[in-house]
Amino acid sequence: MPKTYESDSGQQTPRGGLILLQALVLGLFCLFTLRLWYLQVHRGEHFSDLARENQMRQASIIAARGMILDRNGKALAVNEPSFALGLIREDCEDVQGTLRKVAEWTGLDYQVLLDTYIRGKKRSKPFEPLVLISNLSYELLAKIEANAVSWPGLEILIRHKRYYPDGMLMAHVLGYVAEANEEDLEKDSRLALGDHVGKQGLEYVLEQRLRGEKGLKQIEVDAYGREHDQHVLLEPRAGGNLKLSIDAGLQAWAAKQLEGQAGAIAVLEADTGKVAALVSQPSYDSNLFVLGIPPKKWKELRDDPMHPIQNRVAQSVYPPGSTFKLLMAAAALSEGLIKTTDTVFCSGSYRVGDHDFHCWKKGGHGSVDMRSALVHSCDVYFYQLGERLGIDRINRYALQAGFGAPTGIDLPHERGGLIPSTAWKKRRYGENWTRGETLNASIGQGSVQVSPLQLAKFVASLVNGGRIIRPSLVLDDPVDVQAKLNLSDKDREFIVRAMADTVQAGTAQKLKRPDAVIGGKTGTAQVVRLANADIRQKTHEMAYKQRDHAWIATWGQKDGKTYVVVCMVEHGGHGGETAGPIVRSIYDYLFGPAPGMPKAQKAAEAARPEVGD
Amino acid sequence: MSPIDRRLFTHINWPLLAMVAMLFGTGVLNLYSASGFRIGDGVSLNPFYQKQCIWGLAGLCCLVALTVFDYRYLKHAAWPLMIVTLVLLALVPVIGKTVYGAKRWLDFGAFSLQPSELAKFATLLVGALMLSKDSGRLGWLSLLTVLAVVLPPAAMVIVQPDLGSGLNILLLLCGMILYRGLAGRVFKVLLVTVPALIPCGWFFLKPYQKLRILTLFNPERDPLGSGYHIIQSQIAIGSGQMWGKGFLEGTQSQLRFLPEKHTDFAVAVFAEEWGFVGSIILVAMFCVFLTLLAGVARDAKDRFGSFLAAGVFFYFFWQILINMGMVLGIMPVVGIPLPFISYGGSATIVNFCLIGIALNVSMRRFVFKKT
Repeated sequence: MPKTYESDSGQQTPRGGLILLQALVLGLFCLFTLRLWYLQVHRGEHFSDLARENQMRQASIIAARGMILDRNGKALAVNEPSFALGLIREDCEDVQGTLRKVAEWTGLDYQVLLDTYIRGKKRSKPFEPLVLISNLSYELLAKIEANAVSWPGLEILIRHKRYYPDGMLMAHVLGYVAEANEEDLEKDSRLALGDHVGKQGLEYVLEQRLRGEKGLKQIEVDAYGREHDQHVLLEPRAGGNLKLSIDAGLQAWAAKQLEGQAGAIAVLEADTGKVAALVSQPSYDSNLFVLGIPPKKWKELRDDPMHPIQNRVAQSVYPPGSTFKLLMAAAALSEGLIKTTDTVFCSGSYRVGDHDFHCWKKGGHGSVDMRSALVHSCDVYFYQLGERLGIDRINRYALQAGFGAPTGIDLPHERGGLIPSTAWKKRRYGENWTRGETLNASIGQGSVQVSPLQLAKFVASLVNGGRIIRPSLVLDDPVDVQAKLNLSDKDREFIVRAMADTVQAGTAQKLKRPDAVIGGKTGTAQVVRLANADIRQKTHEMAYKQRDHAWIATWGQKDGKTYVVVCMVEHGGHGGETAGPIVRSIYDYLFGPAPGMPKAQKAAEAARPEVGD
Repeated sequence: MSPIDRRLFTHINWPLLAMVAMLFGTGVLNLYSASGFRIGDGVSLNPFYQKQCIWGLAGLCCLVALTVFDYRYLKHAAWPLMIVTLVLLALVPVIGKTVYGAKRWLDFGAFSLQPSELAKFATLLVGALMLSKDSGRLGWLSLLTVLAVVLPPAAMVIVQPDLGSGLNILLLLCGMILYRGLAGRVFKVLLVTVPALIPCGWFFLKPYQKLRILTLFNPERDPLGSGYHIIQSQIAIGSGQMWGKGFLEGTQSQLRFLPEKHTDFAVAVFAEEWGFVGSIILVAMFCVFLTLLAGVARDAKDRFGSFLAAGVFFYFFWQILINMGMVLGIMPVVGIPLPFISYGGSATIVNFCLIGIALNVSMRRFVFKKT
């Protein structure tokens, strides 16, 4: 073909123009080839990765939290399915419109939903469901299911909800789970927004055993978030079930005995340290916290003057009163300062400097040896014992016996209490320790503070051969012997026997029963230093907050089983009178009703031996 | 009108026609893939590719209609068409129909007309007519005369707003002017002033148009807005790698991450599924197609025909450059479709009409003179 033609007008087509066209075509080809090379070959790998991320979402599969059962297999903490309404931001075209619609369906306040959204937005990825409403009723669920189709991004989430069948009864043992907060998320990278974690009690301490491991699934989605396919990458592993040493029946029975009062009961198996019952009254309902406690309810609980949230068994410490005399006796015997047969004369008071320290028995006990001092709880005997020991030796022995430090039970925020010493006084107040203070400490008053659980642990060590065992709530956990009591078997048995005598003939006679061996020591701990005029006031005449704390520390043996039961009633008055009958009925539960004996309550009214201590 | 010479059919530019058929076929095949998206196990299809076939048939009719008469009669149609176009463009803001927020359509009941499409023809014809009048390079006077005639319709299209079509008209004309050649002094002055004027043009752009240009340089600037298109399109293209993911296997397009995949971003679907190799073949096809059009311009029997063919060349050249440049992330996102590949009724018809004009010019190259 010829290259050019003469046109009809005799003019040539523009030659430069033709070169331009060819140059442009060549340029176009080179430009696009280079660019395509760059995108598809040079950076192809990179874009391939991006494409995979684009279409795949990874989502975790929730692992069921381990159940918690009592020793007989009764469920104490279980999982129930719960439905939540989630919003996937990436798929939601009109957030405000959607939230308005949700508000319309549920009757919730739009502003509240919007706040939830704004808060959640910062903490969840655009493709993760942001939980708008945590717990949907079935009625609401049906309503939303029917309408949600036309609102992209809304998703019904099926989750597990912790449920505590005996919410009130077990609250101080189990604690509760609640949605992980910012702090939890920070601490544990495996947690995601909306996950539940243990916040209190066993749920908190044994979180790792209960939680299990989340699974992972991969979901293929399109740009509208519609799911096309999914497969499981990692199967979830459910958390382990926990069988507790708690006997739910005993727990309920014990709690009933304390009803209407503030106090604590610890029931331990003396040989293993396993906790059979752990009661702190008043209590709260664990279930309240699971779905987020309403602020009003929380304020009520927090401001309640009876402090229902406080675990009085392990988190509260009190002056132990005369129950501390058990330790004083053990310390003195262990130090070899006194023989059990040595006597002290009690005239009703003991003078140190210009101050008279009174025995609880105005007329005095006369001549007392260690056995009768324990049985009748003679203060003067222990004043003198304390004088001889000195506070630092008392301190050392008490610490060895497990006082002044957390017991190590599987519960959080345990208090260690306080066993004073000269160094402590100096450090704390910059003052020297005084003799008078030693006397006060000797009878478990003043600055001595112990938790009911510490006392139970100590009593258990007295009766189980001197092994100081960590109290434990999990049935199958191995027995954890922390230390050995620094006391000869002979001396230890002497104290145990003295406790049995206290039940037979002393301040704890309410516990007496023919078919079992019971030992005990009562205690009455002054809350405030009363003016002399008030000292002899009857308990019921005093203002509640001024009443003494009533203690009783006991052990009971029948059919080869030995239990330790410690009870403390806050502002309950005299230990024997208030705490005694409670412990009595606990033994009734443990050993069966005592044959030939009037019921515990009746016995309490019938027999009023010594109002001791 | 002269009777149709039967010999004309033997002179049909078969290579050009074949190239158009191949490109259009590729486009339909690509639309078949782009219009399907997976739901569950099955494939559900939007019938874009079917509609496109119908538009193609309609376009073919127009193509035939535009080849049967001697293109020199278009000289007489040029000015009346320009006047009609201007009237219709003026009517758009008054009685136009608003679609997607822009007034571009005139509703005539049975059919809707986009006067901006008409403006492309008018510009092509008037431009070819004016530029072919004299020979030699353009001086100031003739340049300004041409611009004075063609700038008003272009401006009216741009304010509709239809930046894509407006640019198309302007660039088409610029291409034809360059094809004619500028006088040395004019060229030198323009070489200095035009780049200087471009920043001034910035102030006439709407905010979203400015954003699109800024986004080009930094797509992450607005990843969910205008940058989203660029990012997703580059992911789709890039992830195709050397050999592509295979027909109907493009995950980015099948899963709808790629927006407007059947219209302006259709070529990204192609690049994802056919990879670097397939994309290069497509680019090569376009280059062959353009070369054939350049050949028509070269071989035309008169200057009017040559300028018509050059106009058609530039019409396609700019669209290919801008659309693919946009999809490949080297040009701003402007709504310009890729000829034969993108879905679109009026664009398809206009494309076929222009091919018809080019074929018309091509087949009559021997009428008066033969070797």
